[in-house]
Amino acid sequence: MPRTRKDMNRFLLMLLLGIVVLLPIAVRSNQYTLVLLTTILLYGVLATAWNIIGGLAGQLDLAAGAYLGLGAFTTGTLLIRWNVSPWLGMVLGGLVAVGFALLVGYPLFRFGVKEVWYALSSAALVEVLRVAFLIWNQVGGPVERYLPYHEWSLYHLRFATYLPFSYIMLGLLVLALLVNHWIRQSRLGYYLMALGENEEAAEVLGVNTQRCKLQALAIYAFLVGITGGIYACMYGFIHPNFFSGPMSIEVAILGIVGGMGITYGPVIAAILLVSVREFLRASLGGQLEGLYLVVYATVLILIALFRPQGLGPLLRQAYDRLLARVVKE
Amino acid sequence: MTGTLLQNLINGALTGCIYALIALGLSLIFGVMNVVNFAHGDFVMLSMYLTFWIGLWAGMDAALTPLITFPALFLIGLLAYYALIDRTLRQKYVTQIAVTVGLMTFLRALAQLIWKAQPRALPYSLIQGNIQIGPYTILASRLISAVVSVLAIAGVYLFLSRTWAGRAIRAASDDLDAASLLGVPYRQTYALAFGLGSALTAIAGGLLMTFQQVDPTMGVRFGLLSWCVLAMAGLGSIPGLLISGVIVGAAEAVGMSLWDPRARSLIVYLLFILVLWLRPRGLFGRK
Repeated sequence: MPRTRKDMNRFLLMLLLGIVVLLPIAVRSNQYTLVLLTTILLYGVLATAWNIIGGLAGQLDLAAGAYLGLGAFTTGTLLIRWNVSPWLGMVLGGLVAVGFALLVGYPLFRFGVKEVWYALSSAALVEVLRVAFLIWNQVGGPVERYLPYHEWSLYHLRFATYLPFSYIMLGLLVLALLVNHWIRQSRLGYYLMALGENEEAAEVLGVNTQRCKLQALAIYAFLVGITGGIYACMYGFIHPNFFSGPMSIEVAILGIVGGMGITYGPVIAAILLVSVREFLRASLGGQLEGLYLVVYATVLILIALFRPQGLGPLLRQAYDRLLARVVKE
Repeated sequence: MTGTLLQNLINGALTGCIYALIALGLSLIFGVMNVVNFAHGDFVMLSMYLTFWIGLWAGMDAALTPLITFPALFLIGLLAYYALIDRTLRQKYVTQIAVTVGLMTFLRALAQLIWKAQPRALPYSLIQGNIQIGPYTILASRLISAVVSVLAIAGVYLFLSRTWAGRAIRAASDDLDAASLLGVPYRQTYALAFGLGSALTAIAGGLLMTFQQVDPTMGVRFGLLSWCVLAMAGLGSIPGLLISGVIVGAAEAVGMSLWDPRARSLIVYLLFILVLWLRPRGLFGRK
């Protein structure tokens, strides 16, 4: 057994990683559990990416659906029209999302759109893109566009089971967590945390807030854009409803509930809330449409009212107390 | 072509008066207590459904239901204030948004649960019919709705400028500390503003039900719509709200007739984003 606190942390992290890596294989015979697991990982990735712009930089972004949709449509269209592999497509999709984010973000930050107005304008973007793709018949349109079917094709990133997707999502989650971790320890991270706390003060101290916010937005958009590419392959079609307002809001909620700026917070929130949601949907959804959302919304309100710092610090305390019992220093 | 366009423009502008009324409620809530209410549009949806119920069960005309729904929504607003909003006043705006987004999801899910997902409408209203002015046809329901909305807005204006409670609301919105020192009870004032802001959606909901249907996703549309009108008007100008509402309504109608009927919300959102970029304080704002 490890002796010191640092060893213990490392040991538990490895243990956790081992469990998570084995989990999809363990549940692979049950497609429902596998889908649930992949969905949790998907929301974990999105909320962790959101943490960069929302948690660290304090900008309440509600446009995750916009970047997700752009990534999905870029990847999907390239695959359907020109048979471009989604592996390339998703990177291009990420870049398209970044391009769009910069195009929109530059004037927003330049003209000092802040707080609630930033939140609302980003929410509006999702809806603008959804309707625009609904009208743009060459690429979008009201009918789903299906990706070519393959039983098992690595080139086309199309599989008949969710198993590979759960691993790809897991890989993305690790990537998103690492990016979060790196940013937190970098100069950019300190600048972001400073401006997230108090923008004017950070500016007075010489932080170029506009540029930092743009960088954070670009990284976030890239991660979500890539995820969008995988999202399209996973579901096997693209549709303008991928530009989803409710989903964007949910991503932000997970970030807030997990604890703003805490690297692992959003993942914990995703594990707890998404499984609560899916459990309620599975057990109540059939009889009473909407009941699971009533319960879900109530849970959200209660957490926001009584734990405004989020679940992250709470779990941290519990973990520290447990560790103090096991490890004697 | 120009005939249809002008006709759409007029009908859109008339609907815009209702938008202004909804945005006035939001402006009371946001302007006075700086609370970001994402659920405002869902209060509109709720009052539309209540109108539907009263129309269905009591056989009351949609245009008259605000007599019942106005006090009902006022009470619901008070309840929401004391149960939720009051606790978030000292929190960061992010917490407030999380709570009101929770309320928004709650109301929408509740509507879905009670009234199901399909659109609901009332069959008949007293104020139906057309009015022919030269070559143009104006829908009577729109015209009367617009007149009632303008009257309601004027009523709120008088309330804010003539009564003690109204002055207290304005004082609290200008400078809370100074108002408190002069004996304005801030919690009651806030509760009053939130209740009144919510109750105004009851009038709008009744009027809207005379010419359109309601479904559970409607709240998002009215929410962003009212934020758009508010952003364009800026805080603190009631005539500005009316003008902005008319502009938004007209732009929506013109976009639908010239471009694509599905582009309805697109126009509003593009307008909203442009206003935020170019005039962050709105066209008529004073702070």
